[in-house]
Amino acid sequence: MQTQPKRPVIQIDNLVKTFADHTALQGLSLTVNQGEILALLGPNGAGKTTTINCLLGFLKPDKGRISVAGYSPQEDVALVRKQLAYIPEQVALYPRLSGLENLVYFSKIAKVAMADCDLRALLEIVSLPNHAIDKPVSSYSKGMRQKVGIAIALAKKSKALILDEPTSGLDPSASHEFSQLIQRLARQGVAILMATHDLFRAQEDAHRVAIINRGKLVETIHYQQLQETQLEAHYLKHIKVGA
Amino acid sequence: MFRQTLTKEWLDAKRQGQLWWLCLIASLLLLLACTTGWQNYQSYQSDAYDVAQQEQTRWLNQGEKGPHSAAHYGIYVIKPATPLVALDDGLQAYQGNVVRLEAHTRNDGMFRTVQDNLPMARFGSLTPAFVLQVLLPLLILLIGYPMFASEREQGTLKQLLASGVEPLQLFAAKCCVLFAIAATLLLPVIVYLLFIQFEQNESAKLAYRSAGFFVVYISYVALWSIITIAISCLLKSSRRSLIVLLTIWALSTLLIPKLAMNYSTGVYPLDSNQAFQNRLKREVYTDHREMAFERFEQSLLQKYAVSSTSELPFDFAGARLQFGEQYADAIFDRLFGERLEQLQSQTDSYFLASLLSPMIAVQSLSMAFSASDFHHHQHFLARAELHRRMMQRVLNHNQRDHAHKSEGQYVANLSLWQQIPKFEYHPPAFTDLTHHYRVNWFSLVLWLTASLLLGTFAVRKLTKEPLR
Repeated sequence: MQTQPKRPVIQIDNLVKTFADHTALQGLSLTVNQGEILALLGPNGAGKTTTINCLLGFLKPDKGRISVAGYSPQEDVALVRKQLAYIPEQVALYPRLSGLENLVYFSKIAKVAMADCDLRALLEIVSLPNHAIDKPVSSYSKGMRQKVGIAIALAKKSKALILDEPTSGLDPSASHEFSQLIQRLARQGVAILMATHDLFRAQEDAHRVAIINRGKLVETIHYQQLQETQLEAHYLKHIKVGA
Repeated sequence: MFRQTLTKEWLDAKRQGQLWWLCLIASLLLLLACTTGWQNYQSYQSDAYDVAQQEQTRWLNQGEKGPHSAAHYGIYVIKPATPLVALDDGLQAYQGNVVRLEAHTRNDGMFRTVQDNLPMARFGSLTPAFVLQVLLPLLILLIGYPMFASEREQGTLKQLLASGVEPLQLFAAKCCVLFAIAATLLLPVIVYLLFIQFEQNESAKLAYRSAGFFVVYISYVALWSIITIAISCLLKSSRRSLIVLLTIWALSTLLIPKLAMNYSTGVYPLDSNQAFQNRLKREVYTDHREMAFERFEQSLLQKYAVSSTSELPFDFAGARLQFGEQYADAIFDRLFGERLEQLQSQTDSYFLASLLSPMIAVQSLSMAFSASDFHHHQHFLARAELHRRMMQRVLNHNQRDHAHKSEGQYVANLSLWQQIPKFEYHPPAFTDLTHHYRVNWFSLVLWLTASLLLGTFAVRKLTKEPLR
C-alpha cells in the first residue's frame, strides 16, 4: 500500500469482555493509525463484533482501555461517536426513503453541515447509479446500500471508519468498487478497521492484518509481509492452533 | 434534531398507506362526532329555551286561584347545557335534566334521555369524548409502537446511535413527532372550541372551561405519546411493543374503568329511585309531623294570646303550610344529604381509580369542564330546590297575609305569579368546584410524571444497555 501510516487513531489496550457464559475478549490490544486499513480476521465467535461494539460504546469492557482520536467510549461515548463512522454488514437504511433522503437524514442527525446538492454529489462519488439516487432504498441491492453507507461515512468526515463484514454478500464487481472507495478514504487519512472473513479483500486492501482467535490477538501481519505470504495458509494455521 | 426527525418521520409516514387510512378514519370519526354533538347541543338548547318560555307563560297565565293551588300547579325547570356538552355529554343522558318544582315535594331530575332512547342506542353512541378518550390513544399507539422498535429491528437504531445521536434527543424528537401527529387529530376539537367562543356570548367562564378542556386532552395526548415511545424504546421487537401497548390500552380504557365502576357501586350501593321516594314520604308523613303541627299551633295561640286560630291576625292555613314546608325541608335535607353522601362516595371511589387509569382522570375532568358531570348536576338540583323553596315561601306568605281578609275563598292573580322570578340557571365557575376534582388533577399530573420517568428510564437503558 502506498500511504505511510501516521499517528494512531484507534487504540485498544488489553481489552477484556466477559459475558455470562463465556469470555469474548481476553486482553486484546490493537492500534489503527491515521490513513491505515487494518483488517481484523478471525473465525465466528473470535471477538470481532464484540471489539466493534466496545469501540462504538454499545458494550462496556470489563478491563482495558479504548481510545478513538483521543476519546474513550467508556468516558465520553458521544464524542467517540462523533469521531467515527460505522458501516455494518447490512447497512441499515430506511426502506421507504430514497438513498439521498437517507443520506440527508443520517448526515443532519450527525450534525454534518452539508447542502443537499453536496450530499447528492457524494452519492455520485460513491458511484451510486443516478437513476437510483431518488428511488426508495427498498429497491436497492446490497452493494448500493453499502455505497450509501460509505457516503454517510464520507459526509461525516470522521477520523475513523469501522466496517463489519463489509463485503459479505457482494458480487466481485461490487466488492471491488467498495474496496476502491475505502482505499480512497484511507488516502484521505481515515483510520479504517475492517472486520472480515474475506481473506482476498484483506490481502488486497489492508495495510495490516490482525488475526484474532478466542478473543486474543494471535498475529499481526504487515503490508510488506502480506505481499509475500499466503494469507489463507497463515490464517488457517493460527485458527487450527487456537482450536 | 427535532426538525430532521420530523421531516424523516413525515416522509416515512407519507409513504405508509395504512397510517393515512388510520388518520383519515380517526379524523372523520371525530368530525362526525363533533357535528352530531353540536346538532344535539343545539337541539337540546332550543328545547330547553322553548320549555323555559312555555313554562313561564303557563305559570303567568294560570289564572286566578288560591296560592296553594298554584304551588301544586308547579313549574318545570330545565338545566341548560354548556356548548362543551357537544364534545362531552357525560352523564347528561343519564341524569334527568328537568325538575318539577311543586309544593311539599323535593323532586329529583326527570325525563332522562336514555328513557326515550331506542334499544339499539345501547350499542354505543359516538361522542367526541369517546373518540378522544378511547380511540385516540389506540391511534397513537398504532402509529407509535414501531417508532423505536422497528428501528431496532432493521438496525437503523444502532446506525443512528453510532452516528453520535444523543439518545435523549432522539427520544424527545420521536415523542414530539408522535405528539404532533396526534395533536393534529385534535384539530376539529380545537376549531370547535374556538368557534364557540365567537358563537356564544358567554362570559369568560366558557373561555376558561374551553381552555381547561383543551389542557386536559393535550396532556392526555402527550401522556400516551410518551408512554408509546417509551414502550417502543424499551422492547426489542415491534410485535412485543404492540402487544404491551394494546394491553395497557385495554386495561386503561376498558377494563379498569369498568371494574372501578362496579366496585364503586358495589361498595356504596344506592336505593332505587322509587325506594328513595317511598322513604321520603314515609319519613315526612308521620305522627311526629302531626305533633309538630300541634306544637306550632299552640305556640302561635300563646304568642298572640288567642284561643282559636281563627282569631289570629293572619291566615293560619298559610302559616301552617309554610311550617309544613320547612318541616319537610329539614327531612329532605337530611335524606338527600345521605343520598348525596353515598353518591359522593361512589364518585370519590371511582375518581380514586384514576390512579390506575389516566382515562378516568381525563374522563372526569372532561365532564367537569363540560358541566355534564355529577357535581354540576347536583349544583343544578340544589339551585332548583332553592328556587322551589323561595316559590313556596312567597306563595305561602301571600296566603298567610291575605287569605284571612278575603270573604269567601281567597284567590291570587297575576301580580302574585309575577312575584316569582323566572328560574335562571348558570353553571358555577369551574374554580368553585375545583376541590371536587383534586384527585383527578393529581392523577393526571402523576401519570404525566410517571410517563416522563418511564421515558427517562427508556433513555437511560438506550444509553447504557448494550446493543448486540
